[in-house]
Parts: sequence; structure tokens; C-alpha cells
Amino acid sequence: MTLLELREKIGYHALLLGAVALAASVTLAGVDGKTRSGIAAAEQRDLQQSLAQVLPEGFADNDLLKDKVNLKRADGSAVAVFRARLKGEAKGAVFQMSARGYADEVVVLIGVDVGGRILGVRVLKHKETPGLGDKIEIAKGNWIRSFEGRSLGDPTAARFGVKKDGGVFDQFAGATITPRAVVKAVREGLQFFVANQPAIFAVPGKE
Amino acid sequence: MASYKEIAEQGLWTQNVVFSQLLGLCPTLAVTTSGTNGLGMGLATTAVLAVSGMIVSSLRQWISPQVRIPVFIVLIAALVTLVDMGLNAYLHDLYKVLGMYIALIVANCSVLGRAEAFAAREPVFASGLDGLSMGLGFTFALTLIGLIRELLGAGTLFSQASLLLGPSFKFLETTVVADYGGFLLMILPPGGFLVLGCLLAAKRLYEARRAVAAGPLSPSAQPA
Amino acid sequence: MNDAPLLPLAAAPPVAAPHTYAARSVSTVMAWVMAALTPATVYGFWLYGWPALYLWLITIGCAVGGEAFCLRLMGRRPGPILRDGSAVLTGWLLAVSLPPWAPWWIGAFGGAFAAIFGKQVFGGLGQNPFNPAMVARVALLISFPVAMTSWVAPLPLGSAAAPGVLQSLAITFKGIPTDFDGVASASLLGYSKTEMTRGIDLLHSLAHAGAPGVAWGGFRPGSLGETAALLVAAGGALLLWLRIISWHTPAAMLAGIALPAAIGHALNPGQYLDATTHLLAGGALLGAFFIATDYVTSPNTPAGQLIFGFGVGLLTWVIRTWGGYPEGVAFAVMLMNVMTPVIDRYVKPRAFGRDRRGRPIAARRVN
Repeated sequence: MTLLELREKIGYHALLLGAVALAASVTLAGVDGKTRSGIAAAEQRDLQQSLAQVLPEGFADNDLLKDKVNLKRADGSAVAVFRARLKGEAKGAVFQMSARGYADEVVVLIGVDVGGRILGVRVLKHKETPGLGDKIEIAKGNWIRSFEGRSLGDPTAARFGVKKDGGVFDQFAGATITPRAVVKAVREGLQFFVANQPAIFAVPGKE
Repeated sequence: MASYKEIAEQGLWTQNVVFSQLLGLCPTLAVTTSGTNGLGMGLATTAVLAVSGMIVSSLRQWISPQVRIPVFIVLIAALVTLVDMGLNAYLHDLYKVLGMYIALIVANCSVLGRAEAFAAREPVFASGLDGLSMGLGFTFALTLIGLIRELLGAGTLFSQASLLLGPSFKFLETTVVADYGGFLLMILPPGGFLVLGCLLAAKRLYEARRAVAAGPLSPSAQPA
Repeated sequence: MNDAPLLPLAAAPPVAAPHTYAARSVSTVMAWVMAALTPATVYGFWLYGWPALYLWLITIGCAVGGEAFCLRLMGRRPGPILRDGSAVLTGWLLAVSLPPWAPWWIGAFGGAFAAIFGKQVFGGLGQNPFNPAMVARVALLISFPVAMTSWVAPLPLGSAAAPGVLQSLAITFKGIPTDFDGVASASLLGYSKTEMTRGIDLLHSLAHAGAPGVAWGGFRPGSLGETAALLVAAGGALLLWLRIISWHTPAAMLAGIALPAAIGHALNPGQYLDATTHLLAGGALLGAFFIATDYVTSPNTPAGQLIFGFGVGLLTWVIRTWGGYPEGVAFAVMLMNVMTPVIDRYVKPRAFGRDRRGRPIAARRVN
């Protein structure tokens, strides 16, 4: 029987499909094994890079990703807090907060030192209007750095808002809602930090 | 069988995937928000096109016509998944930009189209060359659209090129208009349609002019 | 090959009857619509001063220029086609929907975009699926959201604070100088939306002393020609009286806004604006009489126009209430423009001698 005749048989079809699928699966499984560690390392690096963005250089020498506690906020939502240490001594913490912006939740990452002063803030995720609200990104402007060095009480609670609401932080032309949301998230983040400070540093880190 | 020169010409210009066949428009319109994105997507697709062409061609006498489509799809899907995993592990920054679109290469009809129209009936080397030239034509189109949208939308060219090509290509990253306010429409989806439409019109204008210049008796003046 | 010269299509003799004769040419209709727009536009010039006039001139100029450019590109003589007035009207409609103190490039870009990408790429008047003025307005809004949402408080010509002729040129071409910072204002729709996201409901935000209002007279911040509700409605009435437009589209569109607004407001006045405010705010009236009634992009039959108008109104209300932008007339008109071919396909007039499904009606003998 020639190959041409064989190709017409139903059994051959099934065998061909099965063989191709098997070969594809074996190759994929092999490559998956080879790339898995690389992908995991790349994702780890991503997270580390964003954590490092809200801390000054040389601020901590520990692996923040491994030094993590999970806490609960008053409303029951969970917050993962990464702790920064230098030579074993607690120096600060990094955690996520979010607030409702114009289109969706705006998620920010906040770095705070043990004195409750903000080290850095970055926006991790948002869906604000391009060209209006997206100036909160560090790539689009320096606005997000205006939080650095601030703490609860500096400015005072009444002035911890955008200028339109009598606060000290700028809003953008045409957009008030987005900066207002970020300011709110940062304020709540500081309140969370102050309220939970003993708990954040009480649990020893798994070094 | 077409000569190798013809195969290359067809892929790069006369049968260009985007500008002539209007295939693979999903990635064309979705990822071309910058020249770098277009280039990265184009190169990834080129790799899939060339390799899938060669595999399909080398298996062509064993593949029954009745089950050829599922076989092609399994092969292409496996290749795309390989590219996806490889980019994620080794070019992670580019992967973060292109990530969600890489999987869409499977659905890029030009890949299945070339397997069906060319690789299933031509020898291995010609199929590989066809995939390569089709892919490079696709890359050219995507990069061009990406550059135009980037220039009009953000006032830059090849921003973040060093993520894709390595730090030595940093010189490609140009800011054409400093302090540019931004023309968001071009970066948003409608900009892809507008730029593609204008480029198609320009290509047809160019070809019509050439046909007129060649004179009424030349074969290129005949309607295709 | 055939050596006989081919007749250009336009020069071919008409092939078959019947032809209807319309007493009004396209240019007459366009001229009447412009006349109907004039009162509201002139009021806009008075209310917002010289910058509004400059913007209006630039927008119309660039719409005409864009159309002429495309016609030249296609090898046609622009003169006779431009004389139909549709490019001027497109530019005019766009201009009256722009913030009156917008910079010159907004008008220039918008006018050219409307003529080129809104109309001529599809083949000119009669071929465009979308209302060209709204295409340009939406393109401007999503491209330049800051410039397109910067409203100014009314500074009527003749008042002390109004900028002079030369100062206004600087405003249009160089941007609003800092000593005019105080004129920046919010439209009611934008204001109520902003306050809502702060958790302040309408009952409180609108009771606030600085809250913008709406008025029949039109003394409020808003687009160049949309604020004077009475004058816009008067222009619409003129078009109705001349039978240039029929009542179906405007009435259905206004009902489409007012009905859901009234129901929502009755259920929860803290969250939904009332019907009168919705009708007077933004571009609702302008859209109902001048934009949704565009012949080319709206259905042909009265029943189709009722569906179309109601759809535009309802979508406007939905976008204003839940959408990402405070105003939704332009988006709503474009969305319903897409539906026009579908509506025209399913809502057909009954052909003479046939029933609604197209089956012939048996002739009845009459003695």
C-alpha cells in the first residue's frame, strides 16, 4: 500500500493527529521545564524592582520579598506588608493601598520609614483617562513624588488633600478626581501604618 | 514554482501580509502603538512563520488533506507557545509589553494561510524563505505603522528600543518633539485604523502612478 | 482594447425616469439650517466674546479647506462642490459644539478632520456613515481632553472684564493668559459628576453656592452655541416650520433623555439629575434639532426616525449618568449613526400595492 492510499484511511488520520499532538506536547513540556525557573525569576525581579522604586537606594539590605507579614485592615481587607531592614534593624515598610479613581481602582505602592515618613509612592495599576489622569504615573510626570517626606501631621489632616479641597497637593488641569483618589489612598496608607506599626514589626521576619 | 527572488518580492511587497492581503489585522492594529512594539511583534511572528513553514513543508507528504487544518493548528499553536515561554523567560521586559498579544499569533490568519497556500505544496527551503519574507514584510508594515502612530501620538521614535534589542540600540530612541502634548487618538485604537487606511491609500496611489508611468501597453497597467 | 473614449460617469445622460423634482436644492437647505443656527451662534459670540468668533471662523475655514484639499487630490474642481454649503455647515456645527475659548489648533484640526476623515474619505456628501461634525468632536475630545473640557464663565461683550479684540487674538493663538485664570469654570454635567465621585450626592452638591446652573436664557458655561436653549429651540422651530426637518427625530430624542431622567430622578433625586436639567444642559437641544436630524446619517422613514431619535436620547442619558465622560450627545449620535442602515432595512415604508411584508395585495373590484 502506498503512502497516498494510506493517507485516506480513518485510522491513519487519528494516528497522525495523535502523533503530532504528542510531539508538540513533549516539546512544550521540555521547554516549559527549561524556562520555568527563568520566568519565575523574571517575575520575582519585577516585584523587587517595584518595591525598590519606593525606597531610597541603600535603604535596606534584606530581601523584602521574603520578609513579609499579612495584616488585616479595619474593614477586613488583607494587606501584605514588606519590611525593610538594614543590618537586621527595622527601617521601614512597603505596602499597597487603593482608592476609587475616575474609571476604576487606582492601586499605589507606598514606602514608609519607621518614623511614619513617606519614602516614596508609585502607581502600580490604574485605568484613568489617558492624557488627563495618567499624570500620576512616574513616566508621565513628577507629581507622584510630591508625597515624599510627608507624614500624618505634615501637612495637617485638614490640608492633606488636593488644592481644590483646601489641601497642599496639586491637581491636574481638567482632572481632580484622579489625584484626589491617590491622595486618599496615601492618607489611608499612612493611617494604616501608624495604627498597625507595632503589629508590622512585632512578628520576626523569616530571614 | 516561483523563483526565490519572486518569493522574496511577494512577501516583502507585492503580496505583503498587511498592505496587500489585509491579513493579521488584529495584531497590526492592537500592538502598533510604538515602533518598538511593532518591530517586536513582527519579529516574533516572523519566527513562527518561517519555522512553521519549514515544519509543515517537511511533513507535507504525510499529512492527509482531510485532517490538515487541525495538524497545522496544533503545530502553529505549539510554536507560538514556545515563543511565548521563551520571551517570558529571556526577554521579560518586552514580554510585559507584548505578552497578551503573543498568544494571538495563533489566530493570525497569515500563519495558517501560508501553511495552507504555500508550505503544504512547496519544498522545505522555499517554504522557509516564504515564511521569512512574509514575516519580514509583516514586520516592515507593523514597524512603519507603529512609528507613525508613535511620532504623531507621543512625539518619539523607537522609545524603549533598548528593551527589545539590547542597550547598544539605545541610539535608536529619539524624542522628535520635546515637550509634546500628545495626540492621544493616534495611540488609541482608532489611530491604528486611520494610519492603516492612509498607508493603504498611499500604496495604491503609488502603484497607480507607476502603472500610468509604465505606459498603457506594459503588463503592469492591466488590472490585476 | 476599445479605443472609443469612455464617457465620464457624471456626463452620462440619465437613463430612466422617474425623477422627482425638489424645489429646494442642497445649498438652499444648508443655507436655511445656517440661518436657523445664527441666533444661538451670535448669542454665543456675545456671551463669550471675540475668542468665540475667531474659533468659529477658524473651524469653518479649515473645514472648507480640508474639503477643497480632498477634492483637488481626487482631481475634481472644488468650486462647484464647495458651493453646496455642506462643508461650511459641518464646520459651523463643530464650532458651536467646542469650548468657546479653545485654542486655534483645536478648531483647525477639528475642521480639517471633519471634512477629510468624517466625510471625504467615504466619498463626500451623502456617503458618510457618521455625522462629520460629531466625528471631529469625538476625535478632539479623546485626543485633547484638557483643551476640550476647559470651560469659561460667560464674559459678555461690552462688560468690563471681557477681553478686547487684540487681547482675544492672543487668547485664541497663544492660550489663556494667567490674569484670566478666574474665568475657568465647570459645566453642570462635569461638576455634578466630579462631586458624585467624592461621595457628595446631587442634593448637596447642587445646593452649594458655587454650583453651576442651567438656564433657559443660556447664561452659563458651555459650548459656543449650545447654551441658549430658547434660541436653539427657536432655530429648530424655524426648520420644522419650513419642513426642512420633521418633528420625529427631535421629539423622540428629547423624550429619550427626559423619560429615563424623570424616572431616575423620581426614584433617587440624590443620584439622578432631573429631566429639565438634562434637557437644558450640554448639547441636548442642539443635538436634537441640528445634529441628529442630519439627512445623510439618520433613517429615512418617520418610524425609523422615532427609533433613531429615542436611541440617541437614551444613550445620551446613559453616557451622562454612568459613562466616563460628563457629556454624551456626540457619542450617542455616532453610535446611532451606525444603527441607521439596520433601522432603514427593517423599518421600510409600505410600497404601493403591497403590504408591509412586500406581498402584493389582491386588487379589489370597485363598481
